[in-house]
Amino acid sequence: MQEFDVLVIGGGASGLRAAIAAKHAGAKVALITKIHPLRTNSGLAQGGLNAPLGKGDSPESFAEDTLLAGDGLCDRDVVRTFAAEASKEIIWLERMGVPFNRNGEGRIDLRPFGSNSKSRTCYTDDRTGHIVLQVLHEQAQRAEIPSLEEWFVTSLVADGNSCAGAIALSLRSGKLDSFSARAVILATGGFTRLYLPSTVSLGTTGDGQSLAYSAGARLMDMEMTQFHPTVFPRNPALLITEAALSEGAVMVNQKGEPIRLAKGLSREKICLSIHNAMQNGGGSVSLDLRPIGKDKLLSRFPQTHELVRGLAGLDITKEPIPIRPVAHRSVGGIETNATGETSLPGLFAVGECACNGLNGAGRLAGNTLTEAVVFGRKVGDAAAKYAKTASKKSFPSAKLSDEEKAITALVSGSSSGGDSSGKIHADLGRLMSEKVGLIREQAGLQEALDRIHRLKQRYRALRVRNTSRIYNYELTTYLELGSMLTLAEIVAQAALGRTESRGAHQRADFPQKDDRNWRNHTLVSLVQEEPRWDQKPVAG
Amino acid sequence: MKYAFYPGCVSRGGCPELYPSAVKVSAKLDIELEELKDVGCTGAGVLPQYLSDPINARTFAKAEAMGLPIMTICSTCQGVMSQANYRLKADPEYRTKINKEYLSEEGLEYKGTTEVKHLLWVLFEDYGIERLKSLLRKPLKGLRVSPFYGCYIRRPPEAITPTKELNRRKNYLDELIEILGAELADISGKGKCCGFPILTANEENSLAMVGKHTGEAKEKGADFMVTPCPLCHLNLDGNQPRAEAQEGKEIGLPILHLPQFLGLALGFDPGEMNLKRHIVSTQPVESKVSMLT
Amino acid sequence: MEVTFKVYRKDPEKDGKPGRSNYTIDIPEDATVLDGLLKIRDEIDSTLAFRASCLRGYCGDCLVRVSGRARLSCVAKVTAFTQKAPEISLDPLRIVPVIKDLVFDWDAFMWNKIRAVQPWLEPKEPASDGENLIPDAAMKDLRKVMSCYYCGMCDEGCTVLPVDFNFLGPAALTKAYRFAFDPRGKETRERLKILEEPKGIWDCVHCYEADEHCPRGIEPTKRIIALRDLAFKLGITNEKVARHHKSFAASVKESGWLDEGRLAIESEGLTNIKGLMKLLPIAARAMARGKAPIPYLHPKRPGADKIKKIFEKGEQETK
Ligand SMILES: Cc1cc2nc3c(=O)[nH]c(=O)nc-3n(C[C@H](O)[C@H](O)[C@H](O)COP(=O)(O)OP(=O)(O)OC[C@H]3O[C@@H](n4cnc5c(N)ncnc54)[C@H](O)[C@@H]3O)c2cc1C
Ligand code: SF4
Ligand code: SF4
Ligand code: SF4
Repeated sequence: MQEFDVLVIGGGASGLRAAIAAKHAGAKVALITKIHPLRTNSGLAQGGLNAPLGKGDSPESFAEDTLLAGDGLCDRDVVRTFAAEASKEIIWLERMGVPFNRNGEGRIDLRPFGSNSKSRTCYTDDRTGHIVLQVLHEQAQRAEIPSLEEWFVTSLVADGNSCAGAIALSLRSGKLDSFSARAVILATGGFTRLYLPSTVSLGTTGDGQSLAYSAGARLMDMEMTQFHPTVFPRNPALLITEAALSEGAVMVNQKGEPIRLAKGLSREKICLSIHNAMQNGGGSVSLDLRPIGKDKLLSRFPQTHELVRGLAGLDITKEPIPIRPVAHRSVGGIETNATGETSLPGLFAVGECACNGLNGAGRLAGNTLTEAVVFGRKVGDAAAKYAKTASKKSFPSAKLSDEEKAITALVSGSSSGGDSSGKIHADLGRLMSEKVGLIREQAGLQEALDRIHRLKQRYRALRVRNTSRIYNYELTTYLELGSMLTLAEIVAQAALGRTESRGAHQRADFPQKDDRNWRNHTLVSLVQEEPRWDQKPVAG
Repeated sequence: MKYAFYPGCVSRGGCPELYPSAVKVSAKLDIELEELKDVGCTGAGVLPQYLSDPINARTFAKAEAMGLPIMTICSTCQGVMSQANYRLKADPEYRTKINKEYLSEEGLEYKGTTEVKHLLWVLFEDYGIERLKSLLRKPLKGLRVSPFYGCYIRRPPEAITPTKELNRRKNYLDELIEILGAELADISGKGKCCGFPILTANEENSLAMVGKHTGEAKEKGADFMVTPCPLCHLNLDGNQPRAEAQEGKEIGLPILHLPQFLGLALGFDPGEMNLKRHIVSTQPVESKVSMLT
Repeated sequence: MEVTFKVYRKDPEKDGKPGRSNYTIDIPEDATVLDGLLKIRDEIDSTLAFRASCLRGYCGDCLVRVSGRARLSCVAKVTAFTQKAPEISLDPLRIVPVIKDLVFDWDAFMWNKIRAVQPWLEPKEPASDGENLIPDAAMKDLRKVMSCYYCGMCDEGCTVLPVDFNFLGPAALTKAYRFAFDPRGKETRERLKILEEPKGIWDCVHCYEADEHCPRGIEPTKRIIALRDLAFKLGITNEKVARHHKSFAASVKESGWLDEGRLAIESEGLTNIKGLMKLLPIAARAMARGKAPIPYLHPKRPGADKIKKIFEKGEQETK
């Protein structure tokens, strides 16, 4: 057993920022992650991150745009704090070494992005996530934070009614170990791999949300999954940053006619326009980046150029790229307050796995990375503070042997009639995209729930055939699928429950926004093995 | 066919056998050489760019004034000059700056037109293989030869192999071995580094590289190895005994300079090519060559 | 289409001996190598171990050798390797400790070496509250270097690593470049000192292999050379190298040319008797064959004074 004040689970942008903050606040911190930090989903972010640094800009204006994108479901105070602290955090990143693109004065250049009403997106070409992640990782090393890499957290451990640590499997040694901590921060990222295709990395499977849910913490607004409008849809789908649209790219239908978009449309609205164009014309939609101009394309979108060529065999400087909306970012997650506290004492959450009321029903493009660093710092601080005052917890040592038994039972070596995690996942991903996707309606959601139940039965019958322990990816894939199935049911159920259309949640059978009944967050928690559904009004 | 000749200092210093053999072979081939005398060392990748680029620009300017392309006989000279020339040609602003700050005082200016070619390239690109073939007196039948290029004559691409066509440069030595009638004993390390550049910084690694490449050639049954780079020669030949000691194996692989190799096939006798001056005995090569008719 | 994947295997829980498994699978024409591997693991052999994360060529985790060539399996199209026959081979990199199948030890291969260069910026005290004001040109170069996705292909291609696995290698040294050339950092000298230690920048043979291997065009060799030039400018701290470079530069400066005899002797250090003795047997042999140049009797070349001027100017300029 290893002991820490603060255990951070997840090595993406939010986890690294939280770990650095907690360490600076004097806590004994460790970071644990199932893949190397530099290989995490945060590295995929392209377009940039927002801060109201421009001359005509202000935190108020930034907050306003964030609220608009959230479509009436944001908690105002959280948004205000966020907008007020964003600039400071970006300046910190700059000082720590992010080589942001500059304007003629040598200041951080701001690009127009998504439905931001002002240019306020800071960027490093089209590799913003990749570079911000590196700098955070560098500073985590500078702070001498031990990093346990390729450790897969299999469960959270509670001492009475508070979180006392976690149990994790080392992929490399194949052994389970326990980690006791006064405070645990979940920074495990989103769950968009529920959908196929999706824009995310292989490990974005909602482990953290599922771990928290199983440990009794509440989840919030799980029906909100944001689709991204400009994605080359071959599986795995390749996202083309929306910054391209802001910088002059146009969308065209099959006949080559431009699809006109009003300025400042939210992501959801753009997705719907594409969806409609595809329905009406019955054809495909493409993104034509050529209007941006070859030089600018090569200098500002080098990665897009490289990846589209590699995966699609197309050249963005020469031809339009077929696109359609694809599942991108989970907006809902583990319910927290502005300092990351979940409903389970001692358990914190931050980043894409958390839902603190910032994003409401939709997310402003460029806010996620800013969210990861702004709240990463706040939550790291808060967790360190909590760890100082919390009494020492006792880590029930039997948990480790229980977990060992559970895993051994799973790994039986016997085959299960040709079924596999991959097949179940493929069926789940297609089902979610079709029935719990961009546009939902009651019958489809009911059907989805039925079919998810059947997938769960298949899952329960499944055993892990690979009996070896070292780098047993069949086992981790199986565990990830378990998380995804748990969350899939919650997402479908929450979507069924919300009888209105708002932000990322669009119901064909309830096309209107219903502020009177639905300015509420959807909440769910596990009580005596059963989901308990609840609501809370939007704050402020 | 005339060149401004840049022999490089190793061809007279550490490998004094190289210079005369290159001169003799060139004369035999009717390649006229006008030696560049009052120019400096290329920097050999040891001097920083901010010193070596002006020195090389000066060399290019002198050749330009003579109206001649430059011929080298050293992969390192070739590589360093190619890179400097690439920078000076690609970036007129940079060239102007160097002209102004370093060359104008002497009344020199580099306009960016000088070509720099290693003898190996000259043979293929200017001289012509058919013409060379017609001059062969003693095709080296039955000898197995391993090529060793030296890194700087193969990379970096923008300076050395700027076009698809010129990518063939990476293979000239292989081709030449067969053109001269010998058999190719190909080795995987032929384009790698000989280890010379780190002889001071990390002798052990340097000698390990010598052992690796010469050892591989030996295993492939090579009678000798040929290199267009005197620095590679210094290490592969001069340090082979030490490499043998360090790696604990006997190698005994003669290393020939490119002009010596050419010279033998053109009918010079080994003495004229100064083979005796090598550290690793070339006796077995000499006797094999003397048996050829 | 049907393709046979011939995959390197090693199981540390069994005998640990390398072997190979062949899997014939049916995959779409445009399938990537990773698509195939995932299918094999899911449907045929769940014990097969290989890594992957981003799936799209952003992250570098899935590096393997596909039919001999280092590639990211997630963007490598199978058909690019099946022109001759419907089969491909998959192996771990050549010079890495393999843990299981295609999973190798990234720590030993790269991460530990990167850690050794103190891979973080020590920021200068800020001049004002806001961001540092810097021209984009300086940032652009750093962005290029930071487009590195830690795939390790440069290390795989490096000339030195196969003879000395402890050499820091181009990936780590390229990482070091990013800090040494960041105008916001302090302590460049300190940083160079670390890099100048054995196994660092002076162990690189500047063979440009790394540049040829880097799929992102980062040109690691040129970065290493830039670090060396910077060290030269600031004063080399590696003693042996310093002597060698000083002597080289002095020779060229004085005579326009290199005096190798002098170089050999001065590199070893005039007071380093042991080092000099080591030179003796070679020198003696070389002398007997008329090969060794005689040091210090090296004639001045015509034009030498011109070279000297360039030197003095260059040294002045970079001060
Ligand atoms: C293609 C793409 C483009 C994007 N573009 C932008 C953009 O332009 N601007 C913007 O602001 N945002 C963008 N985003 C969103 C943004 O990148 C992510 O939402 C954000 O980085 C999430 O960060 P995170 O730290 O919360 O999670 P992640 O980066 O997903 O990190 C999760 C971490 O948790 C670890 N983990 C998960 N489960 C376990 C477990 N069971 N045990 C141990 N460790 C575990 C993982 O190993 C990983 O280290 C984009 C996303 C994608 C996919
Ligand atoms: S590069 Fe080498 S051989 Fe060529 S001139 Fe300079 S020191 Fe002499
Ligand atoms: S240039 Fe240096 S680091 Fe790069 S491959 Fe060659 S020896 Fe290795
Ligand atoms: S420098 Fe290039 S080859 Fe080396 S790790 Fe980075 S991206 Fe890969």
